[in-house]
Amino acid sequence: MVFKDKTKLSVWERISDINWLRKLAIVVTLAALWQIYAIWLNNALMFPTFTATVNALISAFGNGELLERVLNSLKMLLIAYAIGAVLAITLTILSISTRIGNDILEVLTATLNPLAPVALLPLALLWFGLGAPSIVFVLVHAVLWALTLNIHNGFAGVSQTLRMVGRNYGLKGLRFVFLILIPAALPSILTGLKVSWAFGWRTLIAAELVFGVSSNSGGIGWFIFEKKNQLDIDFVFAGLLTVIIIGILVENVLFKTLEKRTVLKWGMKQ
Amino acid sequence: MNKVSDFLTVRNLTLQYKTGAYRVTAVNEVSFSCDSGERLILLGPSGCGKSTILKAIGGFILPHSGEIMLNGKQLTKPAPDRAVVFQEFDQLLPWKTALGNVIFAIRNTRAISRKAAEEEAAAHLQRVGLGALGHRYPHELSGGQKQRVAIARCLALRAEVILMDEPFASLDALTRQQMQEKLLGLWSEARFTLVFVTHSIDEALILGSRIVTLSPHPGRVIEEIKVRHCDDLARRHPEYAALKGRIESILFKDQLEYVI
Ligand SMILES: Nc1ncnc2c1ncn2[C@@H]1O[C@H](COP(=O)(O)OP(=O)(O)OP(=O)(O)O)[C@@H](O)[C@H]1O
Ligand SMILES: [Mg+2]
Repeated sequence: MVFKDKTKLSVWERISDINWLRKLAIVVTLAALWQIYAIWLNNALMFPTFTATVNALISAFGNGELLERVLNSLKMLLIAYAIGAVLAITLTILSISTRIGNDILEVLTATLNPLAPVALLPLALLWFGLGAPSIVFVLVHAVLWALTLNIHNGFAGVSQTLRMVGRNYGLKGLRFVFLILIPAALPSILTGLKVSWAFGWRTLIAAELVFGVSSNSGGIGWFIFEKKNQLDIDFVFAGLLTVIIIGILVENVLFKTLEKRTVLKWGMKQ
Repeated sequence: MNKVSDFLTVRNLTLQYKTGAYRVTAVNEVSFSCDSGERLILLGPSGCGKSTILKAIGGFILPHSGEIMLNGKQLTKPAPDRAVVFQEFDQLLPWKTALGNVIFAIRNTRAISRKAAEEEAAAHLQRVGLGALGHRYPHELSGGQKQRVAIARCLALRAEVILMDEPFASLDALTRQQMQEKLLGLWSEARFTLVFVTHSIDEALILGSRIVTLSPHPGRVIEEIKVRHCDDLARRHPEYAALKGRIESILFKDQLEYVI
């Protein structure tokens, strides 16, 4: 008699083990509930149906309007993100070499990180006026501190042994930072990038909603604001849905892939 | 042997660590020296300061007092002329493959084409018996395999002085013996100066040309012993047992119940 050390799972067991399938089922259920509630409410001005929202989404993307808004928003965020990343790396590098630099950075991040970016909007208006520079200013504030904090923590956590290996090869200054510290701190740096992106994305939509920009360069927040004024509520919902979808794509697809190809592959993070 | 050994000189070296509100003396007034091309062994019980001394020779820890001279010059900072194999398992760069780690070491310390560095790195991995595992990332290697990559990486630096901190501690008896033989083989080709840390008396006798025995914490030199023979048959040498007995009596002189 041969001992069977393997038995096949039933089809249902295998299906219910697929992560994304289970989540998809939840999403479908939510959409169905939405649809049922909206039909029951029967008030398109307050709460359009799921299908009406999807139709609005398709038509807004179809005529290119929503896509342009999305690209405007992303462009703004990417500019701020790039500025924030360069500033964060520079601040951290300047701070690591001395203890007082370290202290200054820690105090700065501790005090400025909790300051909600939207709270700076009035000041931004005063300093930069209505328009893109104001939004970028607020966004840089949104991404900078979370990023700095994480890069700084990441650098601090690099093991003594790896540092000694780098110094053994005579690596110093920027070469040491870029060849040893940054890759060794990559798990933290990625976390920082992720957190600050999420922060930035939420801030961006809020900022655009509060004071939009001009109608041709406005982003997705402006789209939502404008559609509400025109009482195209299904388009407002389409805009909200787009914000969610982009958030999910970036956080769960882009960053997950980035992690899979780097820190997960290298066993630096479980 | 009347000539004074003065290639590597450690004189009255005291090394301390800062922990919380205290300074802990890890190594106290240690002196020893060796000639160029010697195989110096630091032998002593766990916690006596062997790694600390090695890191000081590597230039990573500055002396609290005393000095370390290499070729007449005082050592103040790390450099690739003293290649180190650390005791810790996290010494490989996790974001580079085994081969990538060796290539990184070569390319950052020498002007050499990528292709030549790759070939040389592969040859070094081959030597430590890991030719087939070059594409693996460190987290996919066993502890002993990681240490062997670190050894390959260290040898690839072609350093004048090689510092090894218990590099064979996590190998099985057979692999360890092979690695010891290989190290001796490499040494007879390149004639680098080796400073080798171990707490195994057998390993010290097989590899060493000079053995510095250290007392338990805080480390002090008990005695410096010259070993004359050098071949992989050391174990069968008539002097071997006598020398081993002598080292045991030195190390265990003060504490009968002491276990290495
Ligand atoms: N970073 C540190 N901070 C404070 N004390 C330390 C530090 N590293 C080592 N020590 C102490 O210094 C002494 C010497 O440590 P060291 O690592 O040199 O010992 P060792 O001889 O290499 O031991 P082993 O054979 O176990 O590796 C020990 O008592 C240890 O507790
Ligand atoms: Mg040690």
